[in-house]
Amino acid sequence: MKRALLAAPFYAAVVVALAFLTLPVVALFTRVTPAKLVGQLGNQVVTDALVVSLETTLIAQVLILAFGTPLAYLLASRRFPGRPLLVTLVELPLVLPPAVAGLGLLAAFGRLGLLGSTLDALGVSIPFTQTAVILAVAFVASPLYVRTAIAAFQSVDPDVAAASRTLGAGPTRTFFRVILPLAAGGLAAGEALAFARGLGEFGATIMFAGSLQGVTQTLPLAIYAAFDVNLDVALAMGALLVVVSAVLLLSLRLILSWQPSRQTSRSLFAPLS
Amino acid sequence: MKAALVALTLAVAAGTAAAQPASTLTVYAAASLTDAFPKIDPSAKYSFAGSNTLAAQIRQGAPADVFASADVALPRGLYRDHLCSKPVVFARNTVVVIVPKGNPAHVQSAYDLRRHGVKLVVANPGVPVGNYTLQVLHKMHLMSVLKNVVSRENDVREVLAKVALGEADAGFVYSTDARTVPGKVRVVKIPAWAQPNLRYGICVVLASKHKAAAQGFVKKVLGRRGQRILRHHGFLPRR
Repeated sequence: MKRALLAAPFYAAVVVALAFLTLPVVALFTRVTPAKLVGQLGNQVVTDALVVSLETTLIAQVLILAFGTPLAYLLASRRFPGRPLLVTLVELPLVLPPAVAGLGLLAAFGRLGLLGSTLDALGVSIPFTQTAVILAVAFVASPLYVRTAIAAFQSVDPDVAAASRTLGAGPTRTFFRVILPLAAGGLAAGEALAFARGLGEFGATIMFAGSLQGVTQTLPLAIYAAFDVNLDVALAMGALLVVVSAVLLLSLRLILSWQPSRQTSRSLFAPLS
Repeated sequence: MKAALVALTLAVAAGTAAAQPASTLTVYAAASLTDAFPKIDPSAKYSFAGSNTLAAQIRQGAPADVFASADVALPRGLYRDHLCSKPVVFARNTVVVIVPKGNPAHVQSAYDLRRHGVKLVVANPGVPVGNYTLQVLHKMHLMSVLKNVVSRENDVREVLAKVALGEADAGFVYSTDARTVPGKVRVVKIPAWAQPNLRYGICVVLASKHKAAAQGFVKKVLGRRGQRILRHHGFLPRR
């Protein structure tokens, strides 16, 4: 009896939480039929935005992987004074309001920014270009990858790495043949999260890169511009983003469940020690 | 389940509604009125944005009492759909080109905007100032400058910000906006013959719960003091 009394509010809370989280997404699709969604794929504004979004997010992901992985490995494997401060700095863009990220990017890479005159001398101007979109996406999305990657590297059993070294493998070989494969699941999880975050990036992009169809107008920016002018187009693009993001999250779940090793972090938000 | 969600939403709404006084007037006004309107009535609550954004929000049931637009077409559209009272013209304005301090692209007239590599920022078509920009360019046979556009913004103040920051070489704004950042931008005038008929319309939202106060606000804007404040901010008399 007592257990039933406790169970009722528990399940009620679960139902309300589920309903609250799914209702906006479901509501989107009640206003966009699949036929409408497919029809909008013929709309130049929508296809341009989709291409810009995918292009910039993919390039940003390559950069995040190339530069973020060594950083994450260093932060996971070394203990040194100031490390907690460094980890906090790396994670900061995650909690920064996007508008602040946009201001910061302008202050750093804008024409009148810190590096502006240097870049100008080299004949490079970043604002209003696709480079600006890529930088904005990389800035806001990389902490998600680095954070997860640190946890993934930390969960690799140090004895395994030591055994590899004892058996004569050099540090490079050990990293690529032992540590990286063992951490791969966690790295993939972080990467998928960073990809999804990058795809949804809005505030920093609109401030730093502006919005121009076919150049810097990503899907979220196009949705914002279409909202006042043509709500149907905005809704269709919204549904499109939901589909793309859902596919991403689902493939992430599959990657994680296929991962044979249980050594790596299966949790997306494993605590950092 | 639906009932539970509705109840939860209502509870959240009640909690937030209790936190703010319900009697203040809510005025939805064009971004270009950001500096002038609070001087006319400091006690009202304001939402400043692109007029088309505000009109779209009012159509979605936003709790606006007054709508002041940078054109007459948007409030007329709401009037036609029985969403607001018959709009009245309360001010006029002109379009100018602004360049950042230092004028990096050496823009001396609107015709210089044709030059290759000038970074031009305009507002989206659909935003009043975006429509006016297109009208000016059409009259001056300058539609080709649109190839130099590097960003399309959602209201006039975003265009102003991009130029005032020095990131863009030039932008189309209202003469009243250019005055709000003296020292940061320089004005390049558009000839009178190319100016659009740029009138601001105001109306009372019919769904408003404070219609009398809303009408009082409109009267204040049209009254001598309101008109003087608008003129002081560079707006032209409503004629």
